Amino acid sequence: MRQLFRVLAAVVLLFFILAAIAPNLLAPFDPLAIDPAAAFSSPSAGHVLGTDESGRDIYSRIIHGARPSLLIGAMATAIGLGIALVLGTIAGFGGRWLDFGIGRILEVLFALPGLLLALVFIALAGPGVTTTVIAVGITAAPGYARIIRGQILTLRSSPMVEAATVLGRSRFHVLRVHILPNALAPIGVLATLGLGQAILWAASLSFLGLGSPPPTPEWGAMLSAGRTYLSLAWWMTFFPGMAIVLVAAAATVLGRSTKFGGVR
Amino acid sequence: MTYARPLAHKLVPAAAALAAALVLSACTPATSTTENSADDGTPVTGGTLVYASGDAEPSCLDPHVGGNYPQALVASQYLETLYTKDAEGKLIPWLAEDSTVSEDGLTRSVKIRDGISFTDGTALDAAAVKANFEHLLDPNTASSTGYLALGKIASMTAVDARTLELKLKTPDNSLLESFSMPWVAIESPTALKRSQEENCAAPVGTGAFKIASWKKQEAVNLVRNEGYVRPVASSTHEGPAYLDAITWRFIPDAATRYAALQSGEVQVIDNAQPDAIATATKTATLKHLDAPRPGASNRIELNSSKAPFNDPKTREAFVHAVNVNASIDSLFFGTAKRSYSPLSSVEPLAYSDDSLFDYDPAKAAELLDAAGWTERDTEGYRIKDGQRFSLTFPVSTSQSIPAEQSIFEQMQATAKDSGIEIKINLLDLSSWYGDLAKNNYNLVSAPYTKVGPSVLSILFHSDSTIPAPSGYFANHSQVKNPALDALLTTAGSTKDEAERKDLYTKAQKLVLEGYYLLPLYDQQNHFLYSDKLKNVGATTAVASPLFFDAWLSN
Repeated sequence: MRQLFRVLAAVVLLFFILAAIAPNLLAPFDPLAIDPAAAFSSPSAGHVLGTDESGRDIYSRIIHGARPSLLIGAMATAIGLGIALVLGTIAGFGGRWLDFGIGRILEVLFALPGLLLALVFIALAGPGVTTTVIAVGITAAPGYARIIRGQILTLRSSPMVEAATVLGRSRFHVLRVHILPNALAPIGVLATLGLGQAILWAASLSFLGLGSPPPTPEWGAMLSAGRTYLSLAWWMTFFPGMAIVLVAAAATVLGRSTKFGGVR
Repeated sequence: MTYARPLAHKLVPAAAALAAALVLSACTPATSTTENSADDGTPVTGGTLVYASGDAEPSCLDPHVGGNYPQALVASQYLETLYTKDAEGKLIPWLAEDSTVSEDGLTRSVKIRDGISFTDGTALDAAAVKANFEHLLDPNTASSTGYLALGKIASMTAVDARTLELKLKTPDNSLLESFSMPWVAIESPTALKRSQEENCAAPVGTGAFKIASWKKQEAVNLVRNEGYVRPVASSTHEGPAYLDAITWRFIPDAATRYAALQSGEVQVIDNAQPDAIATATKTATLKHLDAPRPGASNRIELNSSKAPFNDPKTREAFVHAVNVNASIDSLFFGTAKRSYSPLSSVEPLAYSDDSLFDYDPAKAAELLDAAGWTERDTEGYRIKDGQRFSLTFPVSTSQSIPAEQSIFEQMQATAKDSGIEIKINLLDLSSWYGDLAKNNYNLVSAPYTKVGPSVLSILFHSDSTIPAPSGYFANHSQVKNPALDALLTTAGSTKDEAERKDLYTKAQKLVLEGYYLLPLYDQQNHFLYSDKLKNVGATTAVASPLFFDAWLSN
């Protein structure tokens, strides 16, 4: 059963990655081509997932939306991990006071709901795709930082580090050769798990009109545009929503199975 | 003012009779007209009306300050004007009783109605009106709409308690129309003496309701004015309003607002979405009030002050490169009719020309070639001297409904086929004002509501490129044409109604044929309300609803 889920998740993720790399292979229509006469068409053979208020093909827009949506998710995760790696390493390796200081800062950040933190950042920096990416990255960072710190603390008291210290290796050498490479292994898992969350957050921000400008086919923005016509054209909201759910779920399933599969 | 004066005279006896009737607390004024009360049953006193506005919450409830439509909507409930329009669209005196103008058109005398008090107890008299005009003309008030409407006043004197004499710089045949707008509403002079901050929070007027409190970001709470005396009639009753109170809420999201109406949480919504109107008209429990705003039509203005639109050919090419009709048909579900005029269809002097604005990409291409935009870049956009034909289009999200934003997106897609790039920037109101002030736009859509055709002067006279004290200027197409200026100036001061019409027609022809604007439709002003709310339909001269006659059935 778990195997089946894993395969399904991999298929979904691969599909959307392919869509992000080569959307024209999968999408039958231009995502920006309007056809007012065909506006609000329900799903049919011509438009499998229906059309939006401008008669644009929803399926094609979802396929073309994979790139901005996934890219925002991936970049945000990368930024989050980058910040986390620096903070986590300093906390885990920098001694008691630094650990204490960073620990308290992280706790304050934890106290704020993730999305609120992102909104505060956007309010300060102004809306846009770049800001959204950074905002989501910053929001994700505290969670990663804590895990990385824990990993480093465990490694610090491991026999190999003790041996290296006894052999008189410098702290920097120990960090570079023994601790970081071993601490990085679980990050791959974290990244896969985090990707789903980041896509979700990015979509939320786009939904609020803080992400990609029109007419970019970004999933969150599509969801937002469709919401106005929810009672009239449910497919405008439902299918972009499904795309977000599928990718976020697939990334999570893959991330978890890798962890349970036993990366050490 | 030849057209308004005889009317005013005709109404004097009726109004005087009404005033007398009110004093004697008689029951049915002879002049009352009914809207739709026939099958609504007997009015019930009591209840709180919850109104949900889709507009941005005003930062000041005094419409003298700044002066936009959201302010007018709420202020119509607690402030009244010197003049107003009756159900047939005729200008009638309200807080004023009468007005006369001298032969040279330079002296206007306004007679103020007797026996009316503001809700703080201050009496309405000529000095009170003078204080209001002074407030509007004071640069510290930062009025834009009201300031422009009274711009021709040179000086004023309260001759006696009920007569205000205005000396004008030049004759102004739109002054009484201006007096009918909520942005020139009359407030208590005692209240105006307070600081601007205090007056913004709770302006004091003569209206059927008064402000009880204002919880920002939540609601303006209005309560009935128990001492209300209805000075002029187009209403079905007199004395205080039926409703105990009005809760004026702000729900910016259209779908949420409509859902709140459906669930009965609110009884009236404004800025109703076309698809919601289409659904609601099929729903027995919901009713629709369509009240197009006077003044300008809803249009896109083409900034002629800078490239590429400083070349008339490019403006003409642009209007032929976009397919507005197809968008309106698909997005508005029959709730909006295409306009080909700078003026609203409710303006008697509106002039239309539908031959100018057809969708014709071939003609657009021809014009662009002729204007030198012959080459294309890798993305297919036309270029000239290395510059792409790119149009910046700041869109205020609070001043446009989603369907409108969809029209803009569709224009963006269609214009691309002609090699024209449109960059839509969705902005909040203050960033949008900022872009206008910095001349950082090629296209812009801004509503402008005013009673009468004199709005043309505000939108197209070269003087209107100079910012008002608030920093706002209304001539967004930045047309500066001495011939047009002359037409507008004469049209605004002539005493001959036929000449006025002729000159305003010429002026409209000039701006339409100069492709300074792309008319879309009337300024949409759709209200949906619960069938529990009866007697809705009365509006001010700017088409904002009045709830004096409205009542809630159980």
